Amino acid sequence: MTLFHFGNCFALAYFPYFITYKCSGLSEYNAFWRCVQAGATYLFVQLCKMLFLATFFPTWEGGAGVYDFVGEFMKATVDLADLLGLHLVMSRNAGKGEYKIMVAAMGWATAELVMSRCLPLWVGARGIEFDWKYIQMSFDSNISLVHYIAMASVVWMFTRYDLPKSFRLPVTVLLGLCVYKAFLMELFVHMFLLGSWTALLVKAILTGVVSLCSLFLFVTLVHSN
Amino acid sequence: MFEEASEVFDNMFKTSFPLTFIVFIPAVLILVSPLPAEAAHEFTVYRMQQYDLQGQPYGTRNAILNTEARSVEAEVLSRRCVIMRLVDFSYEKYQKALRQSAGAVVIILPKNMSTMPQDIVQQFMELEPEMLATETIVPVYFALEDDELLSIYTQTLTSSPTQGSSTAAEVLLHTATANGFQMVTSGAQSKAISDWAITSLEGRLAGVGGEDLPTIVLVAHYDAFGVAPWLSYGADSNGSGVSMLLELARLFSRLYTYKRTHAGYNLLFFVSGGGKFNYQGTKRWLEDNLDHTDSSLLQDNVAFVLCLDTLGNGDGLHLHVSKPPKEGTPQHALLKELETVVASQYPELKFSMVHKKINLADDTLAWEHERFGIRRLPAFTLSHLPSHRLAQRSSIMDVRPHVDLRKLSRNTKVVAEALARVIYNLTEKGAPEDLQIFTEQMQVQEEQLSSVVDWLTAQPRAAQLLDKDSSVVSTLEHQLGRYLKDVKRHYVKADKRDPEFVFYDQLKQTMNAYRVKPAIFDLLLAVCIAAYLGVMYLAIQNFGLLYGVIRKVTQPKTKTH
Repeated sequence: MTLFHFGNCFALAYFPYFITYKCSGLSEYNAFWRCVQAGATYLFVQLCKMLFLATFFPTWEGGAGVYDFVGEFMKATVDLADLLGLHLVMSRNAGKGEYKIMVAAMGWATAELVMSRCLPLWVGARGIEFDWKYIQMSFDSNISLVHYIAMASVVWMFTRYDLPKSFRLPVTVLLGLCVYKAFLMELFVHMFLLGSWTALLVKAILTGVVSLCSLFLFVTLVHSN
Repeated sequence: MFEEASEVFDNMFKTSFPLTFIVFIPAVLILVSPLPAEAAHEFTVYRMQQYDLQGQPYGTRNAILNTEARSVEAEVLSRRCVIMRLVDFSYEKYQKALRQSAGAVVIILPKNMSTMPQDIVQQFMELEPEMLATETIVPVYFALEDDELLSIYTQTLTSSPTQGSSTAAEVLLHTATANGFQMVTSGAQSKAISDWAITSLEGRLAGVGGEDLPTIVLVAHYDAFGVAPWLSYGADSNGSGVSMLLELARLFSRLYTYKRTHAGYNLLFFVSGGGKFNYQGTKRWLEDNLDHTDSSLLQDNVAFVLCLDTLGNGDGLHLHVSKPPKEGTPQHALLKELETVVASQYPELKFSMVHKKINLADDTLAWEHERFGIRRLPAFTLSHLPSHRLAQRSSIMDVRPHVDLRKLSRNTKVVAEALARVIYNLTEKGAPEDLQIFTEQMQVQEEQLSSVVDWLTAQPRAAQLLDKDSSVVSTLEHQLGRYLKDVKRHYVKADKRDPEFVFYDQLKQTMNAYRVKPAIFDLLLAVCIAAYLGVMYLAIQNFGLLYGVIRKVTQPKTKTH
């Protein structure tokens, strides 16, 4: 379409990040460079993941339309490295729990946004052809911001020494959900043949539920002491 | 290790961050700037004819197209690409589009032309010369229908704004849901092809019995013509003439191999190129033979020249002459023999002689024999068409089903019998009128004719597409070589300074249809996004409320711990 359309998509994708950064008070902590560091860690982790995948996972050469369940599951398992990365970022920042979580999640999500959505948007949304998928991509980036905040908070809770025994199980379940969410989504889309808009809606709902649960746990944990 | 790595990152970003930013971002932008957009649909389009003949331009003069598609019913057509289907095509609509200065016209033809109703085919056939008669500034393209293209067409039809009845809300909804299409051709602007050579082929069967034998010349042009060169298959005109000529060559070559049937006539066969462009191949051949060489079969004692043009259908045979033949000439003899053969063997066939004087004031000659007539050679054209003006001779609708093989082989038989009667002088020798020479082993082979016609109509044969290396020309040469002696090629190239004919390229292109939305849609989207972002802002601002609610809910639980 036009540059204007690109502007639209860009605004839809980036402004929620900006608003979150400003409103969460991160700007007052001077956390910009901390976020950039988190982003750099994201890059490093992705590189390691890619190397690992390229080395140990042969390319799936099954027929078209056949879903390689086990292979995809194994690939999703590699995303556990994300948890490690998030933990690494958080462990290097001193401060309150919220602050650590927000810095790690913001840096992480923004790095992903820049790396994996900026170019497609620039190339695609500016092209002649109109397609709803760029608007969908922008919505998806909003969802992934929420997703990473929830994930960071779950990781933070998981790594606390003073985590009560009763919390252990739900936190682990949430952790698993966070890691395998993309895999589950793909499975849903494949099984129920969802359209792109429905898939986006399902993803939003799933992410919403996971984040609400983690928020409950977080609130309970923080205010129980 | 992680600590070290992140320290490296740290330093890099802190020290040279602005630098990397300045270098990296423009580099990325430059790299991705040529937009590799994926098209909604990609299809092949065939451009309308573009040529100059005797300095006069014909056809469309443009090849570049990059505009939005509209159906012809839309109100504003200026600088839009008008899409029409053949079913709805009419000259008024075409003219309307051109008058409103449309950016281009794309006409969608059905995949299988022969399934169209006859009246539509007939109507379009008659429009073709009209469309080509004058030069058109905007590009005109023809596309073959497929499902994607049809859906683009219907979406274009529905998206053309309907006036009056709709409310503002409907219009808004319409802009959001309806698709527009941007039509883009990939090729460059059309330009004249320099040094284009038109090939003609000649071959002969020498007679026996002394010097200075009379020569009979058989001529048929092999090129086809239609509104779009890539769609010109020319089955009847002049695939039928060429196949008949090849069959006659085969029959007479067999007769000429036996001493008893070797006649005292030279037979000269000529397959001419550029026949649809004022018989350029014939013209040059005559010049070469009459002006530039000393001895040629054409220079002395030509009995007559028989041109074969459009003979694959109809129940009539018309001998077109520019001057009625005098009694006693071989020309007159052939006329009489044709009458005899038709009357005695095929009474259902209507044979007549059509007399039309050569009009030198016309831009183009009517029939091929007029080229010979101008050079004072006795010539006529045999055709099933009663007039040279009929559109069948220059139409893209002239495809394989237009040739009726039974009629073609019957016509071939008539011509062969009449020629044989002239060559062997059978009437004067007192042979019966219904004597059939070409029977049994010597009969006209329908399969032979059919295979030649099938092969000729398997590819478009416009003069612009057949250069000297093309398979059509070389196969024709090979076929002639099987029956005839001294098969030679003759080339015509247009004069550099004052070209008689100029052809142009870019006749076949790939067109992309990109799905686009109107500018108002972008504005609408911007408003929606602004509203969404506003809601987001409020939600994040008031995140504390949610936090508080959850805290209240969880408070009792924590007390029970």
